[in-house]
Amino acid sequence: MARIRSDYGPSPRRNFLLWLRSGDECFDRALIDSVSAPAPSEAERGRSAEVRRVPRKEEKVYRKAEAWNREKGTKLTRRLYLALCVVTALAVILLLLRTAALLPPFGEASNPANNEVSRRYIEQGMEETGAVNIVAGMILDYRAFDTLGESNVLFVAACTVIILLRVAAGDRDDAARRLELETDDRMYEPKDDLILQRIAAVLVPLVWMLGLYIILNGHLSPGGGFSGGTVLGAGLILYLNAFGFAKTERFFTYRTFRVISVTALTFYAVSKSYSFFTGANHLSSVITPGTPGMLFSAGLIPYLNIAVGLVVACTVYAFYTLFRKGDV
Amino acid sequence: MMDQLRFILAAVLTCAGLFVLVTAVLGLFRFRYSLNRIHASSLADTLGILLMLAGLMLAFGADTAVLKLLAVIAFLWLTSPVSSHLIGRLEVTVNDDLDRYMKVDDPEAVRREKEGDA
Repeated sequence: MARIRSDYGPSPRRNFLLWLRSGDECFDRALIDSVSAPAPSEAERGRSAEVRRVPRKEEKVYRKAEAWNREKGTKLTRRLYLALCVVTALAVILLLLRTAALLPPFGEASNPANNEVSRRYIEQGMEETGAVNIVAGMILDYRAFDTLGESNVLFVAACTVIILLRVAAGDRDDAARRLELETDDRMYEPKDDLILQRIAAVLVPLVWMLGLYIILNGHLSPGGGFSGGTVLGAGLILYLNAFGFAKTERFFTYRTFRVISVTALTFYAVSKSYSFFTGANHLSSVITPGTPGMLFSAGLIPYLNIAVGLVVACTVYAFYTLFRKGDV
Repeated sequence: MMDQLRFILAAVLTCAGLFVLVTAVLGLFRFRYSLNRIHASSLADTLGILLMLAGLMLAFGADTAVLKLLAVIAFLWLTSPVSSHLIGRLEVTVNDDLDRYMKVDDPEAVRREKEGDA
């Protein structure tokens, strides 16, 4: 065990370093320092020796264990880890390769995916659901329950983000706190950019119209609630970025978000329950497929598309505002 | 004969658009400072898009797709310069040592000069 020495003593190495750094005059200073420092007294020396002697055995054991950890243990663990890595990776690779080898060839007509279900969707989908867009007929009629789950997943995700990110309501009512939030929000952002406002005044109505078109024509052409709702939400976000929260909150607040989401989801669940109930019990239903290709046709599908689109638009917009300032 | 001519014209236009866009990408990776990069990319953006889509329109010929492509051009011409403008403005707002990269006019001095002119 090396004797611990204060670094102030004039060791040759230190002198050399000092000389390297500052030149010749440093020697004088180092000499003065060493002379003026008081030598440790006899009593002090004895006490420190006693303190040092007592834990010597424990220290030896500790050092031994530590040395083992440092030198052999790390090496062993690393080797074990590497070996386990290789074994696990090889096992997973073998499993996946075996599975891939057992898969049926891609695109084969006799594959299990090409069964009577998809044939029925393609052949009788238009007749049974009234939707020209087979995909819309599938997701909002045959598998409407699944789509309700998807809309609810979005809603639950929005709720979770609200729980995590929303600033407490008490804070928001305070005027000073409101001002602080506002400056915090717009500190790094170009405020009220005139160019963006002019462009947004042209673009936002067009974007909203495109979104509405995609939603309303969901049963006639590619599109539907999810894509159209995203377009609507993007238009809302553009409007917000151009004109700020003060203008957006005139027509879209937390209350609007709540009302629209809950109403749309409830409408979806209730109307689809009705159609499931009548369909399963072979009762006559007021919902008819209508004439395929017309705007008001395909039974419930256009209305369900509107509901899904509203939920998606609200969720997209809520995500953006929650991540930006912690409130809808 | 007409078809071949049209094809050649479309190919030339598309290649010109590609060249412009490649120049933009090159500038994007060549320059260090963000405003220089915006300068390289956003200026070439509009011309490159115009040339590429004009080539596509020629290739389509008389078709409703041409109208949709015109709408795409209008949309991109409206949005792309605005987004570059916003990025540039954000950089000017946020960057505290802007004068390390360029000559910055003191806003006060500019205002005084204007008032002096008037």
